[in-house]
Amino acid sequence: MDYVFTILILIGLFVILASSFDLVIGHCGLISIAHPIFYAIGAYISAMLSKQSGMPIPLSILCGGVGALLASALVAVPALRVSGDYLLIASIGFQLGLIELAKHFHEIGGAGGLTNIPSFLIKDFGRESYVVLVLVLAVATVLFIRWLTQGPYGRMMTAMRDDELAFSMLGRNAIWVKVAVFAIGSGIAGIAGGLYAHYFRFLEPDQFGLLQSSAVLTMVVVGGMRTTMGPVIGAIVLQLMPQIITFFNLPPSILGPLQGLLFTGLVLFFMFVRPQGLLPAADLWVGRNRDGDAGHSRKEARS
Amino acid sequence: MTKQWGLKSTVGLALALALSTGAMAQQTSYKFGLAMPLTGGQATYGNDQVKAAEWAVDEINKKGGINGKKLEMIVLDTQADPQVGIQSVNRMISVDKVAVFVTAWSGVVKAVAPIANDNKVVELSVGANSPDISQLGDYVYTTFPLADVDIRAVANYSAKDMGKKKAAVLFINNETGIGSATVYRDTFTKAGGQVVAYEAYDQKATDFTGPLLKIRAANPEIIHLQGLVAESPQVIAQARQLGITVPITSYSGIYNQKLIEQLGAAAENVIATSLAPGVEDSPLVKDYVDRWVKDVGRAPNGLPYTQYLYDAPALIAAVFTSLDKKGITPTGENFRKEMLAIKSFDLPLTGKITFSEDHTVNKPVYLVEVKNGKWTKKAVVGQ
Repeated sequence: MDYVFTILILIGLFVILASSFDLVIGHCGLISIAHPIFYAIGAYISAMLSKQSGMPIPLSILCGGVGALLASALVAVPALRVSGDYLLIASIGFQLGLIELAKHFHEIGGAGGLTNIPSFLIKDFGRESYVVLVLVLAVATVLFIRWLTQGPYGRMMTAMRDDELAFSMLGRNAIWVKVAVFAIGSGIAGIAGGLYAHYFRFLEPDQFGLLQSSAVLTMVVVGGMRTTMGPVIGAIVLQLMPQIITFFNLPPSILGPLQGLLFTGLVLFFMFVRPQGLLPAADLWVGRNRDGDAGHSRKEARS
Repeated sequence: MTKQWGLKSTVGLALALALSTGAMAQQTSYKFGLAMPLTGGQATYGNDQVKAAEWAVDEINKKGGINGKKLEMIVLDTQADPQVGIQSVNRMISVDKVAVFVTAWSGVVKAVAPIANDNKVVELSVGANSPDISQLGDYVYTTFPLADVDIRAVANYSAKDMGKKKAAVLFINNETGIGSATVYRDTFTKAGGQVVAYEAYDQKATDFTGPLLKIRAANPEIIHLQGLVAESPQVIAQARQLGITVPITSYSGIYNQKLIEQLGAAAENVIATSLAPGVEDSPLVKDYVDRWVKDVGRAPNGLPYTQYLYDAPALIAAVFTSLDKKGITPTGENFRKEMLAIKSFDLPLTGKITFSEDHTVNKPVYLVEVKNGKWTKKAVVGQ
């Protein structure tokens, strides 16, 4: 059963990651792909605090989240003051630089990785309890982001994303909104990182690099940007697909290339065939779709 | 909405599980897992190692398997990535119910160690050489000598047998580079030599003139280079261009045909190590390499590593055969006990292996040197 538990936990974690990433890149329109580094910061802070100072794990996970939040604000404030595109460069620089730095710090395991991270819940209540914890937090994250984006704050984000100049003319501070959203999204990723660390008990700097960035980005794009359920579906599909393939009992000479082509193939397919993702965001396609759909259903009702 | 999608994912998982139970039903075979990078940056090595293991399993089954029962190998991809490795190993243990699995690449070996220990399933690390692998827990063993074995042999050989008094150490600034460079420095100093230069270069560097000039100024009699397969030829080429002609030693990573192809004459006087017997040492290895050339059309990438991978199924088969004879259920716990009870195994391509108390193995180190454009055997150290 461990296998199913691991998959469920990874699905839960990636739902959190993809949803919070969609908040940043989709809802708020901030171009940054450095999301995994905040996941890493949360993971490392939580692991080190609980391992070295024996801090209770729920508290250390929370500290990891706060650490990621503060770190993201640190990157965002100077980068956003210049202009939006600089955030992309600054955040990638921050991500790759921090990974390189982590490789040379032997206190946190260096390039060889951090081992013997204390586990949480599993010993007392079994692995099921951790699955429940992660899935509950995943649902909570999705609901929180839905609440955030569909309320007045969401309307504010949409207004800023669509026309920053007009938004500023209304007397609103665009930079403050951007920094806040970036920090919230990154803080959530940090908490996911803590959850990862205490279940898998091993962290390596390289696993939080650009490969993971592209994986999370693919989840958001495939699922559907700027929707509540899009990133959720993207995370589930992209976590399950590679696993399902292994059950076809293919020889390794086929299995390998197939796994490798899966991500690339999906991205290409969606770019050409369905750029809006599995679930299209309502505001983009509203005119055409609503009329078409309404007409259809009326006709069907009559016949 | 949430409910609907929850349902869908549950159905998907149920389907996945249903597919797998079909394979679990039969009890007439013995299974083990192999988790290797089939995709990603390390795939060129991973795929060749998997091929070697596949040949070995075929060979074992042709010769009657495990007392007439089939030996089955479950191969899954790790991408040499800890997280993917965890998923693969979890699958092998939960779905395929393996009692033992083979894996490599230090990051993956370390990441899956808690799973092996928690589930009481034996993890055999075959090819990773990070020294802390020996301390990963009761169920983690290596059949591959860890980093310090060959570095120590090279340092001792340089100081004692080659009579070098002044050495320079040039290493890549990462975990393995720093670790191995320290081992070399300490061993060489202990053997009566003196380390006159100790220089590091950055992981992504392409120009090594700075550290090389410092080394040239120190005027060493021998240089030890501790780099990766990727940039080591560049380092050697630049050293030779700067007029540094002293012998350069390194480790098993640079022992491949490509080095000579890339460097040509500059490769002369480069000494590498190999932790497995070469073509000249054993007729079985010669047959094995000939088979590669015949079936695949080239020599394997990282020959010594594939030799170890070829031998892993033989070791596993030996333990299973012994368990089968005694009628003991092949659980991970029993496998571990039986493996430690047998203790010494005679393997076709890498020779004898003995599991020691501290979860390491000791092997002789083969030194090879480039002479007239060919890797030639120089010495055998240890054992």
